[in-house]
Amino acid sequence: MQQLTATRWVLALYTALFLAFLYGPFVVMAILSFQQGPEGGPQFPIIEWSTFWYKHVLGFAPPSRVAPLPIGEALTRSLTLAFATMVVSTVLGTLTAQAFRRQFKGSGFVFYLVVLGMMVPGVLLGLGMALVADQMDIARTWWGTAFVLHVVYTYPFAFLVMLAIFNRFDKGVEEAAWALGVPPGRTFRKVTFPMIFPGVLSAMLFALTLSYDEFPRTLFTGGSEVTMPIAIYGTFAVEIHPNLFAFGVLTTLFSFSLLAVYGILMSASVRRANARASGIQEDVA
Amino acid sequence: MTNFDLELVKIRKVYPGGTVAVEDFDLQVSKGEFISFVGPSGCGKTTTLRMIAGLESITSGELLIRGRNFTHVPTEKRPTSTIFQNYAIFPHMTVRQNIAFGLQVRNVPSDEVKRRVDTIIEKLELGDVADAKESALSGGQKQRLALGRGLVTEPEILLLDEPLGALDANLRKSIQEELKILQRDLGITFVFVTHAQSEALSMGDRVVVMNSGRVEQISAPFELYTRPKSPFVARFIGRNKIIDGQLAEIGAGRATVQTRFGLLSGVPGFDPAAARPGAQALAVVPSEYVGVHRADDPRGDTPLDSVKGTVTAMDRVGQVIYVSVRLDDRLDVRLETYRDKLEGRGIEPGSEVELRWNPERTTIVLDAG
Repeated sequence: MQQLTATRWVLALYTALFLAFLYGPFVVMAILSFQQGPEGGPQFPIIEWSTFWYKHVLGFAPPSRVAPLPIGEALTRSLTLAFATMVVSTVLGTLTAQAFRRQFKGSGFVFYLVVLGMMVPGVLLGLGMALVADQMDIARTWWGTAFVLHVVYTYPFAFLVMLAIFNRFDKGVEEAAWALGVPPGRTFRKVTFPMIFPGVLSAMLFALTLSYDEFPRTLFTGGSEVTMPIAIYGTFAVEIHPNLFAFGVLTTLFSFSLLAVYGILMSASVRRANARASGIQEDVA
Repeated sequence: MTNFDLELVKIRKVYPGGTVAVEDFDLQVSKGEFISFVGPSGCGKTTTLRMIAGLESITSGELLIRGRNFTHVPTEKRPTSTIFQNYAIFPHMTVRQNIAFGLQVRNVPSDEVKRRVDTIIEKLELGDVADAKESALSGGQKQRLALGRGLVTEPEILLLDEPLGALDANLRKSIQEELKILQRDLGITFVFVTHAQSEALSMGDRVVVMNSGRVEQISAPFELYTRPKSPFVARFIGRNKIIDGQLAEIGAGRATVQTRFGLLSGVPGFDPAAARPGAQALAVVPSEYVGVHRADDPRGDTPLDSVKGTVTAMDRVGQVIYVSVRLDDRLDVRLETYRDKLEGRGIEPGSEVELRWNPERTTIVLDAG
């Protein structure tokens, strides 16, 4: 009993430390984002609580010596890029995983070829792409070269998620559809896809978030019209003001709302699955 | 024009690894026939069904449906419907949507879809759950839904892959009867796969017995039960007493086997022209036809075959008595008889008895193995 209590304390401490390191930076950033402005800097103590930096980010603050964050266009670019990457990677990932449901010649090789995209260090890949683009006289743009690398990077994640989903998928319902005279294409749309949709949602979330804050690959291939992470990085070089923290809090809230939407959609389908499982149990009883 | 709904001509299935799953399957099924495939697991019965459905490719041979060649036609273009053992109900659709799905892809007008779905729902008594999904259905309802979904498209042949396997014994019995009645009403050809011999025999107009990828025998149930053609069928179907020996005489409709209990005769279950005296053979006697007698009991006028033995045990279960008789150190037989047939005849454990039967009931089969 004594020992048990000791173990509990150790585990509790461990968990507390884990949470502190996980969320500590964010909490500190959130507190500092309410620093007085424009004189207050990104450090303690808090001179006076204010929402000045939020107004500054959103462009409501009066002009001051602190330049506004160059986020407007960068944010639009990042969101557009993340959305496009999400669509392409999820479609590619789902189709590739579908192909892998059957053994085909060279499937092992193709598997590693796809997964390589997330294994290769991002800086090297970005640099390599930049060199190739220069050699071939291709302009480096966020919607061209950077977009390709975003897909190369996120597609394996979407693929692996869908591979796991298909592993647990019962082929019987597809056979039942074919046996009813439903052609394979329509079977995929009407039977397979609705059943794997929770997995597709996860793959989409992966691709979206990975692309949205992608840095090393974009740095070298994005060209002069920068994306959000590059724009933020650019401001570090001059001086850091709490407006960055205010922006950080806002994007985090945005991410949380995305997660909430995902959670709601997911729990709805899990509820359906649970209902299904308990239905089976009733049969056994 | 052929009279057959379904014809399998020398169908073979060889898997990529070289494993032969089905070997030279020949079968002709008339319109409206109820045919059962039965055999132990791994015998190739489900593989054959899946080849008919188009879910498994056919290595060689031909598959004809109403005289048209369907050997390499994809599943969705075949005039068959399949009922699966686990039902494979679409979990994201309601009962109504499940049934309507097959019609919608055929571009049936929507009022016609509604009418036909309603008819099926009424016929299969699914009205109470018409708008429920799979999770809300009982085992029997799922079974009926699977059936309704398969029947609504009016297939020419309905393929059933152990459709009752997941149900409990009582439900199984009642659905067996419903299925049989339904099949008679619709007049559709049914191909029914099961591993339970009683199910195959009670449901099928004819039964195909399979073993290790080969067809052992195709017969009507009673003939299969009483006249096996191979050692496998003799052991797998019915409750036969089997005594081995060598073929002695072969005549028209009659053969004898020299056994260690003497010469036994019976009806040959093989082509008399193909067998030679001295070949290994089995005398197969359905135990229902074997009587237990004292050696000094008078034998009536009918010539009977008999073997002597000693009663080792008698188990009484109500009106039924199970008599265990030791014939020799290699063969013990257990017979089921009724109390009033045996009582007061001085037969008890330790008695010397004679088992007697009419040799007309015996089938002689060749024992290749």
